[in-house]
Amino acid sequence: MKRTFTVCPYCGTGCMFYLLSDGNRLVGVEPSRNHPVSRGGLCVKGWNAFSFVGHPDRLTVPLVRKDGELVPVSWDEALARVVSGLRSVQGRYGKDSIMFASSAKATNEENFLLMKLARRVFGTNNIDHCARLCHSSTVVGLAETFGSGAMTNSIDCIDKADLIFVIGSNTTEQHPLIGTRIINAAKRGAKLIVADNRVIRLARHADSHLRHKNGSDVALLSGMMQVIISEGLENRAFIDSRTEGYHEFAESVREWTPERAASFTGLSAAEISDAARQYAAAGSAMIFYSMGITQHTHGVDNVRCIANLAMLTGNVGREGTGVNPLRGQNNVQGGCDMGALPDLYSGYQKVADPSVRLKFEKAWGGALLPATPGLPLTLAMNAAARGDLKGMFIMGENPLISDPDQAHVLAALQSLELLVVQDIFLTETAQLADVVLPAACFAEKDGSFTNTERRIQLLKKAVEPPGEAKADWEIICGVAAAAGFYGMKYENTSGIMAEIASLTPIYAGVSHRRLPLAGLQWPCTDADHPGTPILHRERFSRGLGKFVPVTYRPPAETPDDAYPFVLTTGRTYFHWHTGSMTRRTHLLDREENRAFVEMNPDDATKLGIKGGERAVVSSRRGEITVFTKLTDVVPPGVLFMPFHFAEGAANALTNNELDPESHIPEFKVSAVRVRRAG
Amino acid sequence: MKTVIPDRLQEFFIGFTDEFEVKVPVLTTEGERVFASPFDGPPALSGGALAAKPTAVFFPQQDGVISIGSEGLLHASSAKPLFVAGFTPRDLLCLRFIDRFFAEGYRDDIYFSRRKGALIAAVSGFSGASGGFVPLSGGACDLEFVFDGAVWIVVPYSEPGKRIAARIPDDAADDALAALLEKSGGCVDEDAAIIQAASKLLLNEMVPDRFWDSVAESCIQCTGCNLVCPTCTCFGVQDWRYPDRVERSRMWDSCQLEGFMREASGHNPLGTEGLRTRRRIHHKLAADRTKWGEISCFLCGRCDAACPTGIGIVAVSRMIVERFS
Repeated sequence: MKRTFTVCPYCGTGCMFYLLSDGNRLVGVEPSRNHPVSRGGLCVKGWNAFSFVGHPDRLTVPLVRKDGELVPVSWDEALARVVSGLRSVQGRYGKDSIMFASSAKATNEENFLLMKLARRVFGTNNIDHCARLCHSSTVVGLAETFGSGAMTNSIDCIDKADLIFVIGSNTTEQHPLIGTRIINAAKRGAKLIVADNRVIRLARHADSHLRHKNGSDVALLSGMMQVIISEGLENRAFIDSRTEGYHEFAESVREWTPERAASFTGLSAAEISDAARQYAAAGSAMIFYSMGITQHTHGVDNVRCIANLAMLTGNVGREGTGVNPLRGQNNVQGGCDMGALPDLYSGYQKVADPSVRLKFEKAWGGALLPATPGLPLTLAMNAAARGDLKGMFIMGENPLISDPDQAHVLAALQSLELLVVQDIFLTETAQLADVVLPAACFAEKDGSFTNTERRIQLLKKAVEPPGEAKADWEIICGVAAAAGFYGMKYENTSGIMAEIASLTPIYAGVSHRRLPLAGLQWPCTDADHPGTPILHRERFSRGLGKFVPVTYRPPAETPDDAYPFVLTTGRTYFHWHTGSMTRRTHLLDREENRAFVEMNPDDATKLGIKGGERAVVSSRRGEITVFTKLTDVVPPGVLFMPFHFAEGAANALTNNELDPESHIPEFKVSAVRVRRAG
Repeated sequence: MKTVIPDRLQEFFIGFTDEFEVKVPVLTTEGERVFASPFDGPPALSGGALAAKPTAVFFPQQDGVISIGSEGLLHASSAKPLFVAGFTPRDLLCLRFIDRFFAEGYRDDIYFSRRKGALIAAVSGFSGASGGFVPLSGGACDLEFVFDGAVWIVVPYSEPGKRIAARIPDDAADDALAALLEKSGGCVDEDAAIIQAASKLLLNEMVPDRFWDSVAESCIQCTGCNLVCPTCTCFGVQDWRYPDRVERSRMWDSCQLEGFMREASGHNPLGTEGLRTRRRIHHKLAADRTKWGEISCFLCGRCDAACPTGIGIVAVSRMIVERFS
């Protein structure tokens, strides 16, 4: 029996645990009492994180499509096919006719390398990853207001907060160990305000539960800020010394009386005023948010409002305060940090900045790097559907199930001349591929992940990958070598981190040697820097915090007579994204093994639908049949569906309308109708 | 009296590795105490109960049941017998409980394939958390390591235990052990009184459903309480089909999961969070007491330590006693 101390592969909380292995087989998990995040606990996914690794469905050999069938080939043949395919597409349609999709499930080192592969070897900035679908609104909104698009504070700050305001985050299900800290804070007497129209578990512990209408966040937050200003509850000293743009902002919220906000949100004016007063009165208040804020066509505006609210009351830069976007995947923070983004190199250094490009050009062998920002993932899919993008290299993503408007995604992927998918299972997307590259999973490789509180932690290999599967970083280096680029040879992942540190100021002090047990929180700017648990202490990353006025916009698609329900999508506690890992984990799949829709019992009665029977849910994009789950968790008029189930894919229904700045889709509001099946 | 100084423990345990598969609390590089081989790190017998349940040595989280290949039934190869040191006296009570559970009715061959012939060594004396005193076991094991604050006194009970201890020369008088035994007799456990009182209230049906609903509000169904409990024995079964074989394995299950008792019809006798939370406590403190004649919580403390929201069995028992006595 061997123990390997490593990082959980699921959410962005970043629990570490021991993987137990017997020979080359994983047999269990043990929590860590000393780890600062997990503190001896785990959630149900963490406890079962070992279980899918040895599944017989794992990909074990490279596959290439021949005569319409995916057939096993050698690595050399597969890599040659990848390189010749990408080069051929570029030769005929231009360098930017291909797209690289990186992965928030892959390590920092692997994200950095795929970014390097795209930019240096294939000469395109068309690289992005699923942060586009989850927190791209945060990266834009917080970078503009604070200068850094990351969680400002640390998980430990929850223990110090007087008030916690959770908006658009089902924390106990999506970041369970963070959710439990919030429950414990409420038990010790901290005030808890929850804004979410579903009765999530945290709502049961809340002092105030605001069930505002989907997509009315700007109205709610503006109403709260109007109350704070009109009642003189703002923090003048903080505003004067630490921020800019206040007066224009204050003018912009003047019209948002609680009564007006109430008319948009469906709340009472008193609920809005009361929440505003509680938040403003707290000595230290933390805001937590997640997809309920970001996945809107006004996602960036939602984030701006949150930043404005925190600055208005001086709740930034201290213990127990801050704006805390909870990052979904275990390395979505790292994917962004590493520059798996179309406009940024690692450390949020701009592609458009000539001095930045020069630095990377020097480090990577002199060739000129592309200067124009590339395509965000969502726009790349649109470009493929239009026929403007012809090749795609997807590492560890399953867009056919995870991206909005499945019919659109299917058409886009089928239109490609070359689709390469690198993954651990033959996902629904991989089944469409021309080349499939078998990858090692989290338990079979080394590297680092960065959690939601910017904590860079060491991933360690516990067992060998199955068959001929290789770590993503090894595959990427293999592609580079097959393309004739020899500047991507590394002995191990710590060598890659050394390159990252040399080119990325916020990671400059990071090395694998410094990461055991608790890791380091960036910025970590030199080898002696202890890391940064709290951002913006003395000054914001951009200098002064910037108030940005926001104008309310409704969701792109609202219910009407033909499609009278609001559909909101998300994840459940027991499954993870497109289910490729959790649906191959016995206990997790047993808990939830079929696609379902949550519906209020009043709606069901009106439609003659019973709980547990099949119902047809349709939107302007598609139609699926799922099982009903009748529950008061959702209010009348609202349906909730998880997107984990390929056989009842919620994204067949969702709307591919994007935020104009972040290009995030509006997963949280679509108009649908529902009827009894059969 | 036979003693081993702390600095010689690793060497002592390594001395048995030819004959046994030795499992002993060791300190990892992350500062955790875990059951592992004495080759894996310095022994860390002191510090109280380990985070993981010691019964996992015989009943691991995931375990092969059967493997059927093209050449017929494949059997796992037999390993050396186990020598497991590090059970607290309370852990020994847990072990006795599940030994009986796995032996009665359909005897669990997989469990006993490891358990049979295993040597069990307890740890007591000034070996608790922060040097606290752990009363001696009284002999429900093969041998016991009793820390007097300076050396480990090795007390054999069974014949196999005596064979282990025979490798240590007698080097001191028995006075120290006698004093520790006397101290053990004077120990009073307040938590024992709490769960006994909670048990009575449950048996007398004095705890209303609304209480369980309120406790369940804080349960995120992490299942940790079950998975660290040495007397939890429930498991699920899965079959995986590889190209050349079918493997059946079993893995720890949890009564806190909705699917645990869900019937094929969809009906679920434990269909609410409140009922499942009640079941977790009621099973240990009332149902097992009726079936086996004793409460099946032996106060090892693991579920209270592992629960992220503070609703382990002792915490809940305390709430019950405070509210319903």
